[in-house]
Amino acid sequence: MSDLKLRVKEMVIERLKLEGMTPDQIEDEAPLFGDGLGLDSIDALELVLGIEQVFGVKIEDEAAGLKAFKSVRALTDFIAEHSKA
Amino acid sequence: MTDIPAHLPHRYPFLLVDRVLEREAGVRVVAEKLVTNGEPYLQGHFEGRPLVPGVLLLEMLAQAGGFLEADPLHGAAIFLAGVQDARFKAPALPGDRLRLDVRAEGAFAGLMKVRGTVSCEGRELCTASLLVKRL
Repeated sequence: MSDLKLRVKEMVIERLKLEGMTPDQIEDEAPLFGDGLGLDSIDALELVLGIEQVFGVKIEDEAAGLKAFKSVRALTDFIAEHSKA
Repeated sequence: MTDIPAHLPHRYPFLLVDRVLEREAGVRVVAEKLVTNGEPYLQGHFEGRPLVPGVLLLEMLAQAGGFLEADPLHGAAIFLAGVQDARFKAPALPGDRLRLDVRAEGAFAGLMKVRGTVSCEGRELCTASLLVKRL
């Protein structure tokens, strides 16, 4: 598992208080919302705040969120792409 | 001086902000609520020992948070969507001048998170995060 992907999973678990869950239990390709982890709109806001706080990356609008929250892999790519600047 | 009824649709007996001291829309609001023995809810909470219900301290923070919005809330569909990490450290009593300090933490997809503190004479009585949804 890449270092960044692991940190993303740890942030998701910590920010959303997914107690008892470990990073290896979150599949890279599973959707964060809907059928995957089954997160809701409040979780989405928590993730937006967590991503900004931990990685310094802003998710500006719903379109960006839709792209970034597709899966852990998509979110990791999004953070890697936007934290370069 | 902010015209409170012009901004908030709440009315007696549920208007729980008396004064806005500082206001930076979208960032921070500091407001006040003066608690008196005339508050209707103190008649029954509790007999012989009046103290402001904790949930009303949260409501005060929510109403103060309404001033983070630049435009008046009359007719706006805004609802409380969540309360997180609420702590009640000491009761609010008749005679207290409550300071309501609310800061915006962030927003996404119609949801806004704020962090609020109710204090009296420098002492924290209540802290909580509120989630507010705009439909």
